[in-house]
Amino acid sequence: MSFSSRFERMTKSRVWRAFFRHGWPDNPLDRSLVMTSNIFFHLHPVKVNRKSIKWSYSFGLGIISSILFGVLIFSGVLLMFYYVPSVERAYTTMKDIQISVPLGQFTRNMHRWAAHAMVLAVILHMARVFYTGAYKLPREFNWNVGVILLLFTLGASFTGYLLPWDQLSYWAITVGTNIAGYVPGMGLQIRQMLLGGVEVGQNTLIRFYTLHVAALPVLLGLFISLHVWRVRKDGGLAASDQQEPSETANE
Amino acid sequence: MPDSETPVTDEIYPKDSTKSYALVELMPDDGPMVGKGPDNTVFSFPVVLLWEIILLLLVTLGIFLFSLVKQAPLEEIANPMITTDPAKAPWYFVGLQELLEHMHPVAAGIFIPAVLVAFLFALPYVDYSRADVGVWFASRRGRRITFGTMIYTLIVMPLYIVIDNAFPLRELLRDSVPLWIAQGLLPVAILLALVGLPLLVLWRLKATRRELLLAAFTVMLVSAFVFTMSGFFFRGPGFKLYWPWEMPNGYNPLNEL
Repeated sequence: MSFSSRFERMTKSRVWRAFFRHGWPDNPLDRSLVMTSNIFFHLHPVKVNRKSIKWSYSFGLGIISSILFGVLIFSGVLLMFYYVPSVERAYTTMKDIQISVPLGQFTRNMHRWAAHAMVLAVILHMARVFYTGAYKLPREFNWNVGVILLLFTLGASFTGYLLPWDQLSYWAITVGTNIAGYVPGMGLQIRQMLLGGVEVGQNTLIRFYTLHVAALPVLLGLFISLHVWRVRKDGGLAASDQQEPSETANE
Repeated sequence: MPDSETPVTDEIYPKDSTKSYALVELMPDDGPMVGKGPDNTVFSFPVVLLWEIILLLLVTLGIFLFSLVKQAPLEEIANPMITTDPAKAPWYFVGLQELLEHMHPVAAGIFIPAVLVAFLFALPYVDYSRADVGVWFASRRGRRITFGTMIYTLIVMPLYIVIDNAFPLRELLRDSVPLWIAQGLLPVAILLALVGLPLLVLWRLKATRRELLLAAFTVMLVSAFVFTMSGFFFRGPGFKLYWPWEMPNGYNPLNEL
């Protein structure tokens, strides 16, 4: 039996067709179906405007931010296998990760540099969206989702900063949470809620850890999905709203 | 079925009996996609997916290479008894810490960040016109406004930091006015004047809402950049101003990333 007939038999089998409900996407119908019938692709529109895929329009900053989020989930889960969020053990497990865990130092480096890069990418993405006027009607709501995502990203980075439990992280979080203590009227209560006490300690570590590995990543995942889906619903990237010179001339 | 009973839509748009039809989406008639054909479009498969794979490879490769050459910092174990000098917030909050040097914490740590976040949330409801959507800086004039305010902010904000550091209001007005004026009202008013000046000029020049927002956002973004740079690179032991290359005690700001 030749290769092509074997291949054809495979793609016509019950098992294959249970997995893929369309043929190889080399024609318009299958190219539409591949996007709409795949959970990972369906956040994309079936067709995109040529202008919106120009590199110099968006610099891919939104996609870069989500890729960095993926890198952080991956390296973060690896670190979670070894890290113990207790005041007695946090620092020693960090040392273990760096010295005795295979590729531990490398994984930690990836997590830290990707985290800084994500904060930077998200800020640049916001600037790009602003300067191209992509926050305007009908995309106002999605801009607000983006602002929430910026705050979540800062929160995820800030809570992760404490976890190594070294002098750098301890004093950075002390300085950072002291600011919250100045909220008029209820500053002390807010600071106490963040820290779980009057100073950075075991309660703070477990609160920041839980926010960092569970609450904030889940919220980020949900809001990123909403954000990307909404881009599609609002008509794709704003570049596609630009009118052709000929279109304007006809009006 | 007699002709008279054929729905009018079927007369306008005769349906092919070999195909099935579905309503794709209901849209208000002012949406950007209304009346828009799929002109100048390409199928997302495979172009967009290839783009994403290329970016995925480049971004992870960049992180890989950087992680090979630069190690994440790990200092001594946390010790509540020994304060590090300087004690700095993470880099994205160090701009706020710089601001704290110039005014009361309620102004620098609560009031100004709250105003900035409120500005970000409200911005699309201030300027909602559909003009110039998807065009960088809106127009040639918008580009000039953006770069003009950028240069203005790059000059004015470092000057504010240096002058306020040399002649701190707190010390100058120690005995003459209450603290909330010297540390709250006055510095906020000074900053407000610095931010408001380019906006006032533009307003007199009859700038559009988009152009006013371009200026306001640029002042915010570039100020955040200036204050972050100052806090990160120019603040040494005691959180005092130094040149980055003249830091005492071998302190290197880059070790704090």
